[in-house]
Amino acid sequence: MHKSFRQAEIWGIAIAAIAILGVLPALNAFVPESSPLHVSDFTINLYGKYLCYAVLAISVDLLWGYTGLLSLGQCMFFALGGYAFGMHLMLLIGKLGQYHSDLPDFMVFLGYPKLPLHWEPFRSFWFAVAAVVFVPGLVALVFGFLAFRSRIRGVYFSILTQALTYAACLMFFRNDFTFGGNNGLTDFKFILGYDIRSAVTQRCLFIATGVLLILTYLFCRWLTLTRFGKIQRAVRDSENRVLFSGYAAANFKLFVFVVSAIIAGLAGALYVPQVGIINPSEMAPDKSLEAVVWVAVGGRGTLIGPVVGAIAVNALKSWATRAYPDLWLIILGGMFVIVVLFLPKGIVGLPMQLWSLFKRSTTLWKKVQEQHAGTTELPIKESSTRQGG
Amino acid sequence: MHRLKLFCLAAMLPTLLLHAETDPDAAVRQSIARAVTGSAAEQDSVLQQIAASEVVTKTEHDLLASWNNGEIYLYDDPSGKSIPIVLEQSDADKTRAFRVDTGELLQDSNGAPVMIDPTTATAADINAALRKKIQRTLDLLSLADPSPDVRRGTAFKLGTSQKPENLPILEARLKTERDTGVKNILLQATALIELADSAHPDRQIAAANQLGKMNSIGGLDSVAGLADSKSAAPEVKQAAEKAAQSIRSYLAIVNFFGTIFRGFSLGSILLVSALGLAITFGLMGVINMAHGEMIAVGAYTTYVVENVFRDGLPLSPLGISIQLPGLHLSGWLFQTYFIFAIPLSFLTAALAGLALERLVIRFLYRRVLESLLATWGVSLIMQQLFRLVFGANNVQVNSPSWLLGNFTISDVILGYNRIFVIVFAILIVVGTWLLLTKTPLGLFIRAVIQDRDMAACMGVPTQKVNMLTFAFGSGLAGLAGAFLSQIGNVGPSLGQSYIIDSFMTVVVGGVGSIAGTVVSAVGIGCSDQVLQQVLGSPVLGKITVLAGIILFLQWKPGGFFPTRSRSLDS
Amino acid sequence: MNKRFILTAEGVTKSFDGFKAINDLNFYLDEGELRTIIGPNGAGKSTFLDLITGRTRPDEGQIEFKGTPVIKKTEYQIYRMGIGRKFQTPSVYSDHTVYENILLGLKGSRGVFGAIFGRVTPAQNDQIHHVLEIINLKDKAQVRAGTLAHGQKQWLEIGMLIAQDPELMLVDEPAAGMTDEETARTGELLLSLAGKHTIIVIEHDMTFVRQLANRVTVLHQGSILREGSLDEVQNDERVIEVYLGKKKHDAIHPQH
Repeated sequence: MHKSFRQAEIWGIAIAAIAILGVLPALNAFVPESSPLHVSDFTINLYGKYLCYAVLAISVDLLWGYTGLLSLGQCMFFALGGYAFGMHLMLLIGKLGQYHSDLPDFMVFLGYPKLPLHWEPFRSFWFAVAAVVFVPGLVALVFGFLAFRSRIRGVYFSILTQALTYAACLMFFRNDFTFGGNNGLTDFKFILGYDIRSAVTQRCLFIATGVLLILTYLFCRWLTLTRFGKIQRAVRDSENRVLFSGYAAANFKLFVFVVSAIIAGLAGALYVPQVGIINPSEMAPDKSLEAVVWVAVGGRGTLIGPVVGAIAVNALKSWATRAYPDLWLIILGGMFVIVVLFLPKGIVGLPMQLWSLFKRSTTLWKKVQEQHAGTTELPIKESSTRQGG
Repeated sequence: MHRLKLFCLAAMLPTLLLHAETDPDAAVRQSIARAVTGSAAEQDSVLQQIAASEVVTKTEHDLLASWNNGEIYLYDDPSGKSIPIVLEQSDADKTRAFRVDTGELLQDSNGAPVMIDPTTATAADINAALRKKIQRTLDLLSLADPSPDVRRGTAFKLGTSQKPENLPILEARLKTERDTGVKNILLQATALIELADSAHPDRQIAAANQLGKMNSIGGLDSVAGLADSKSAAPEVKQAAEKAAQSIRSYLAIVNFFGTIFRGFSLGSILLVSALGLAITFGLMGVINMAHGEMIAVGAYTTYVVENVFRDGLPLSPLGISIQLPGLHLSGWLFQTYFIFAIPLSFLTAALAGLALERLVIRFLYRRVLESLLATWGVSLIMQQLFRLVFGANNVQVNSPSWLLGNFTISDVILGYNRIFVIVFAILIVVGTWLLLTKTPLGLFIRAVIQDRDMAACMGVPTQKVNMLTFAFGSGLAGLAGAFLSQIGNVGPSLGQSYIIDSFMTVVVGGVGSIAGTVVSAVGIGCSDQVLQQVLGSPVLGKITVLAGIILFLQWKPGGFFPTRSRSLDS
Repeated sequence: MNKRFILTAEGVTKSFDGFKAINDLNFYLDEGELRTIIGPNGAGKSTFLDLITGRTRPDEGQIEFKGTPVIKKTEYQIYRMGIGRKFQTPSVYSDHTVYENILLGLKGSRGVFGAIFGRVTPAQNDQIHHVLEIINLKDKAQVRAGTLAHGQKQWLEIGMLIAQDPELMLVDEPAAGMTDEETARTGELLLSLAGKHTIIVIEHDMTFVRQLANRVTVLHQGSILREGSLDEVQNDERVIEVYLGKKKHDAIHPQH
């Protein structure tokens, strides 16, 4: 945020880039498995997943932290991107499926006579990539246009986005929606002609995700530095004032909404080949809320916060679901309550919070010492609690 | 069933026999016993005699039914005489038997009961012709049964059989029948039979017209079948087609009202759960995502109460096993469990709400989005706790028998449980309205809704008001849970399936407005059911409702009854 | 319609839940005029500004700015027509710096893509510094607006208004929360702006109103009670009755 930190930020990005794009893949590829420095294929795959989540988290934060729009349906865009790319991967399976048919397995199983028309263009890689960008973008454009035009704000926006992802989730669960029903799309074999499960492909996907993350970070950082970024934060703090400054706030919100949907869609598209499956449960309302937890835990209103939060929470999840499967949801829920109540700025804001707490207590201590006895005037707490919207 | 009744009757007989001359069944028994072993002519005359008799006794009916089912056996006594008997138990190795002619226990010469092996006993001879005759007699008897329900059922059955030989008995009955409902069915039944009479097209047309005029839903299949049949005469087909259309449009109306009724009952549940949400949101500016779990608390409370009234409930939260003691009640005492469960559901959910308010929400007033997130965390925790305490699977709550039945108005079936929910929702709305307008707490609540700071300055104990209101809102959710347990299963994620709908209800109705919540709950409930019916799929219906809500908010962004605010950032 | 009026309001009525905040109001404003609106609390002064700026819409009547109706337009469309407003309670972007606040108010492109790809030109930069000088906040340019004192926030908002350079300025209680010296300076500032801009000032402080020494409109119960110079108005029997007779009423129902 502060201009004086920009030097440090550039160094940080550079170090992260070297680690993600160079060091980790190299440790995976060139260091023998016996070495303690070796990074296993499993780990690369896992980290790749985390990086996708980090991109998703940035898209949530761009809306929530910077524009004050708490979207509870961000995972729908993530899944839409995933489905768009998954359709392409599905068609690459060819006759290698269980039924040895040109059709994807689920279509054979459900008795489709031939490939539905809207699947046809997904044979092309570039069409799929375009769909990854345009499908989430268009859905966001239409929904956002309607929502912002009628000035649906704050918690109403949150509830409606939740309803939207819920509706989408129900729709994708249906078999006759032509996207595989509750099993979704899976059993992928190839990507761009390479074996999708080979270590090399997975390593490349990991690097691609890293590139996406760094580009997303840089793009969002650049956006916040423009006048647009200032208006964005102004909308967050006082939307009505923005209207009286002559800005059509709805257009600004719509732009951010569409951009963040596209970012989420791209993350979803890279997530699918690494995880090997996409199904409707990815757009269940819970998933989107979970993404919000990552941002809250990491620290909203910063760009590094969501990345830290997504990686930290998911690493914790990987560990806890194995160590204490019964307690994971309680840990997650408890984490959320605690972060909201006590750490409004998340992990990233923790040092600052501790520092101000320390300062406050020392000034208080000084006052107590000065006044020795009698009533002490407590320093009035700065009322910086902004209304969430 | 028949067997058991017969047995009871038979067990009483020894005392009755002391007055053999006055026993009205004695003659019947003897004639049936004679007929079983007698010639065909004898059988005919006995059956005719029974059919002609004005009064039908139970014994008569039951014995005929046994005969028809081949459950009358012949016992050859030592003197070589064949005695018709019925067996006490048909599935035992050896069983006692009763004589048909006297109703007495079959005894040997020493007075000891004769034990019969059902597998080797010889059944009385019965052929298809005889069976048909017995069946007709039975039908005749059923048509004269004192219970209108039985008469209606028999008439309907005879009608749908479309057998011409049933026509005379139906017509005969029609002359003496007084009950309009039964008469109606009898008319339909005769028309149905005549409809199949392809030898007389004029009768078929008249019958089709009759069925159409009576809007006979039961006759729709036959009429429609006739309209499509290739063999029927064109005029007949035309009349049938007309009748089918008339019945179909009537059926559509019946279905429509049935749908509206289900819509109202769904709306009532939404209303009860959304009402609490509307109040807490309107009052405190707090979104409670754990509201759905308050519904689950209510539902699980009902489950626990039911089990305590029965045999107790073993629970094992976190590996500690607890056995809730049971009261081992049965009969009507057990049936009252729901009456206790309702207030208890309210109380436990209210207590849970109170705890939630004190521990989390009071730090988050006016921070809507933060409260949404924190309470979602709470909702996750609660769901997992339900899983740990009650298991991950759904549990079933048995409804008390007085909520199980239904009744019919013009072919629209109204279930008691749904009616109960609607009536209770009305009571709750009225109660809430009274609470808000007629009590000091209500005055405080309204004051805080209008201007929190001002109310605090004027000495309204806002903290206490918050606490009580939140508890009240959660309690309402608990009530909704108690109702839901009567309609479906109870599971850890029960609340999740209702929370989004409840929020939609609040948003559409306008925050903090009771009238708005009522209108939108009923509106959403009805449109959900109607769309389900029209689109033929619950999922498509739900999606359409959600889309409709989004479009509705284009038109009225503040909901039906928006609340205004004068500050710049509200 | 008379061409020389910049703003006309005719037969305007607005009620909230049955309470008529504005009642058949007729109001005419000359171009370049500095007009002061006074009136007891609840007279409908702020509601009138809300109606002009599109915050609420009238139930009846017509409001025209330079002959164009404004009542169906949105807030930002009205702003772009050349009407600027300073709110009663200072509303600045408290998380932004003072410099950024002025930048956001600065006249110029309001589009999304202009905001993304546009740069602050040296001319704009000079203009911002010029405004900062006028409102005496030059040395606070990089300070977060939320940390300013109340009077400084008022000035900052006036600065945003100046940066916008609208034809019609609506200034709601600019002197509230200011020291006497600051109030006097604000008066001078407004007087210097008059002529180039048409200005409506709503004010309670009679010394301040006297300083502006211009035409005064008295609002009462949503309609105009009296219009004229301050002396004429102050000697009007009905105005005196409204102000003195209703004093108690005001104490019970403060506007906010």
